Amino acid sequence: MEKKIIYLRDTDSAQQERINDFFTLFSNELRDANLVDLVQLVKIADIGLYEKGVAVKILPENIVYSGIKNTDVKKIIEETVKNNKIIKELLYEKKSKQVRAVLKNCGYIDPESMEDYIAAGGYKALVKVLTEMKPENVVDELKKSGLRGRGGAGYPTWMKWNFARGMNSPEKYVICNGDEGDPGAYMDRSVLEGDPHSVLEGMIIAGYTIGSSKGFFYIRAEYPLAVERVQKAIDQAIAAGLLGNNILGSGFNFELEIRLGAGAFVCGEETALIASIEGKRGTPHPRPPYPSVKGLWEKPTIINNVETLANIPALIVGGGAKFASIGTEKSKGTKVFALTGKVKNSGLVEVPMGITLREIIFDIGGGILNNRAIKAIQTGGPSGGVIPQEFLDTPVDYENLGKLGSIMGSGGMIAIDETDCLVDLAKFYLKFCVDESCGKCAPCRLGGYQLLRILEKISEGNGELEDLNRLKKISYAMQKASLCGLGQSASNPVFSTIRYFEEEYKQHIVNKKCPAGKCKALVYFKILPQKCKKCGLCMKNCPSNAILGSREAGYVIDPQKCIKCGACFDVCKFKAVMKE
Amino acid sequence: MKKLTKEDILSVDPAKKDLGKSWIKVGMSTCGVAAGADEVYATLIDEAKKRNIEIDIRKCGCQGACSVEPLVEVNVEGLPKVLYGRVTKDVAITILERHVRNKKLLNDYIFEIN
Repeated sequence: MEKKIIYLRDTDSAQQERINDFFTLFSNELRDANLVDLVQLVKIADIGLYEKGVAVKILPENIVYSGIKNTDVKKIIEETVKNNKIIKELLYEKKSKQVRAVLKNCGYIDPESMEDYIAAGGYKALVKVLTEMKPENVVDELKKSGLRGRGGAGYPTWMKWNFARGMNSPEKYVICNGDEGDPGAYMDRSVLEGDPHSVLEGMIIAGYTIGSSKGFFYIRAEYPLAVERVQKAIDQAIAAGLLGNNILGSGFNFELEIRLGAGAFVCGEETALIASIEGKRGTPHPRPPYPSVKGLWEKPTIINNVETLANIPALIVGGGAKFASIGTEKSKGTKVFALTGKVKNSGLVEVPMGITLREIIFDIGGGILNNRAIKAIQTGGPSGGVIPQEFLDTPVDYENLGKLGSIMGSGGMIAIDETDCLVDLAKFYLKFCVDESCGKCAPCRLGGYQLLRILEKISEGNGELEDLNRLKKISYAMQKASLCGLGQSASNPVFSTIRYFEEEYKQHIVNKKCPAGKCKALVYFKILPQKCKKCGLCMKNCPSNAILGSREAGYVIDPQKCIKCGACFDVCKFKAVMKE
Repeated sequence: MKKLTKEDILSVDPAKKDLGKSWIKVGMSTCGVAAGADEVYATLIDEAKKRNIEIDIRKCGCQGACSVEPLVEVNVEGLPKVLYGRVTKDVAITILERHVRNKKLLNDYIFEIN
């Protein structure tokens, strides 16, 4: 028998002690079967299955069994380990729900080495484009692929490129928008840091397609490592002759430069971004004219998101039709999400379009922390909205998320559980947009501020029912009248939380209660004498000396001094501190 | 660096990259560095030298499992490719001794996330 490895993992989060018993059981059986030298038994930390009982994986055959019982151990060793027979009733057919296209090199290659990128098949798309394809062929491939902008709005990439290609101008520009600023989103950072050459290759191809010889990387200065690695990639490409004059003997010239964003969220909006590169104050201006007609220095310009450009090389090598074979009718390919919030495995995931939210949260994300109930999912950052848990089975694509009142956005996805307050969440995002509003147009500058004032009033317990109508009215005005995407979408979190969680707003307004216990002004802590064991732990942990009493007399909370931090609630072992 | 030609790029077969080689990769994007990947990388380089363990130790980008950074991926002949998470200095040394030298996998640090 050849050497084998058995992975062992208890996938039930509630029963972490059980795994040691199984480890002993397996060890004993292996010893009895004289297999100790041939089989390595390893307890692992995650097997990619959740709440499916004890699971084992047998390598090198990659057989996964789930929900195994004590009595199955002997059988597994006899049949599968010794005789390579699969036990059908235990088998778990594990299929990865992720598809790595954009992230395929992230974690696979050395991002600071161009040789490594080329060894992984890099720059083949560039060679193909320069030797075999005319610009119109590239546009055709993009059209076939159905690739849409990954920055949020989902505009078809081929149309953008085709407009710019059709413009008659000696100077045109390609811009990579790396001004990723949504709270909790870092997809672009990871791509720039993990695989900078793929974005570079996408930009060179874009330049060739629209007839441009100059491109800009616009990266926010808060991403120093990304800036460093992109600069290294540019230097390497220049040294190797992949940037500069007469690239690979084709007669095509292209150069690239980095421009740093100075930290304004609004500079992710394309017209503000252009102003920022030009050295002006980063404020948006009305469209049309669109950048593909009059962009940087009034010349035709295409602006693409990092992820869009990183999609290009694989799309060209594999062909548009192959790209379009993944996804839904109107949204093709894969999407990278930054999965955060109250989810067990937070991180970057890349999934095919059309996967359901439930699969992302529970199969990839491993479910909600502490096994609490999921309440909603927030997508699209401050421009997006919340999707309540009733809609978890919705397939993810641009249209579906739009119908639910949210957006795909750049790819932030935040899991919200029952301990989160939606009024508080709306307030958080709104505050972000108010801080980041550039102040140029009145609807955004004044509307955002007023919305925030009303939300603060509600969360302090001073709200009135008429406030709900006011919120809706102001939101509507902002959506219709703001100059750019920031103001138009800033009210989305408010709109969508009212749409799905009006009851929670009313609890705050009418009953003056915050069901999740997040809005401090509406929360009260009380010690229940009948449950209190007089241990004094709460008093020891109170940072504001608000707990009075002694081990003999018991304890009470002084509401005047209480800062509602919840420390007593968290430390009490007897659930004697009540929050309401 | 010399100028590349089309043939240089087209002649590469991506399937053959690192075929049959042994290596250790440390995820060194911002998420990894924030969790201490710098230290883990330095430890691996130093300790491998000290212990006369010859293995190619490299940097790479983010593997996606940000909640269990720093991530270290190890590929040693005769063993499956393994992704270790929450790697500390001590775990890094154990990886060199136990995994690379003695070809035994470590308990409790392997993550199989898709």
